Amino acid sequence: MPGISQSLTLIAIPESLAPVTDFVRIGAREANLPELHMSQLDLVIEEILVNVWRYSYPEGAPGTVVITYSVPRPQEMEVEVADQGIEFDPLTADPPDLTPDLSRRPAGGLGIFLLKSFASSLNYRRQQGWNRLSFGISANS
Amino acid sequence: MNALLVGLTITAENPIFRTQEVYRKSVAIIDVRRGLRHPRDTMTIDCSEIGGKVVLHVVGRMDAENAVQFERQCDSCISEGTTSLIVDLGDLSYVSSMGLRSFVGIAQKLKNKGGELRICCLTGLVRQVFEITRLNHVFPMYESVESASLGG
Repeated sequence: MPGISQSLTLIAIPESLAPVTDFVRIGAREANLPELHMSQLDLVIEEILVNVWRYSYPEGAPGTVVITYSVPRPQEMEVEVADQGIEFDPLTADPPDLTPDLSRRPAGGLGIFLLKSFASSLNYRRQQGWNRLSFGISANS
Repeated sequence: MNALLVGLTITAENPIFRTQEVYRKSVAIIDVRRGLRHPRDTMTIDCSEIGGKVVLHVVGRMDAENAVQFERQCDSCISEGTTSLIVDLGDLSYVSSMGLRSFVGIAQKLKNKGGELRICCLTGLVRQVFEITRLNHVFPMYESVESASLGG
């Protein structure tokens, strides 16, 4: 069903992760994504959601997040995550330094790097107060 | 925060309720509790010993919600005097950046106590994630629990 998109709106809190994962897996099954790419999809979605609930909205006052997916062709998915929080383009984040040994290695800072690594495409736009981050997962690339 | 789901537009079977109910362009206010989390999304940790070393066998998925469970288990081992841990990830199918944060944090605690975190049996996505982030060069990595238990 190319071109048809499905959409889910939830409150941006950690408990939303499981239903969002379930939701995009409907599309993943429709796209017949291989198991490894399904896990990559889960990972990219999680990294984006974690950023939304941690940074987009003020602590204690979470807003909504809208997840929309479509299956443009077999083995491929396109997903958009939209929120109305503070403007943030993860594509502009500095890449982490992956060279330090254990004692100097920061524990965090790998989320955006991972989502950039696994998404086959990644686009950000700020539109009328919305952060709109869209990405592709493809077993064809 | 009781009402989690604000709007829902799903035309297939609804996985959130895990029933066959069909919701077509409906707007529902429902309560999604942690208890509804599918067993597939959970993580279990079995604790054993080999050659006097503590082995944690982590099974399932380590995501933003349950990474803290792994940290707590490791902290509990550390508080009981363990300075080196072997973590068997052969049955871990998923890890996100929150999980990696836990691995680095625990490894740094163990290093400060003169010990180390040894990781073995990486597979699939978990192996990819460790390799992409070069964490496979940060921790001592092994192909089996037995090889991880030798030396040190």
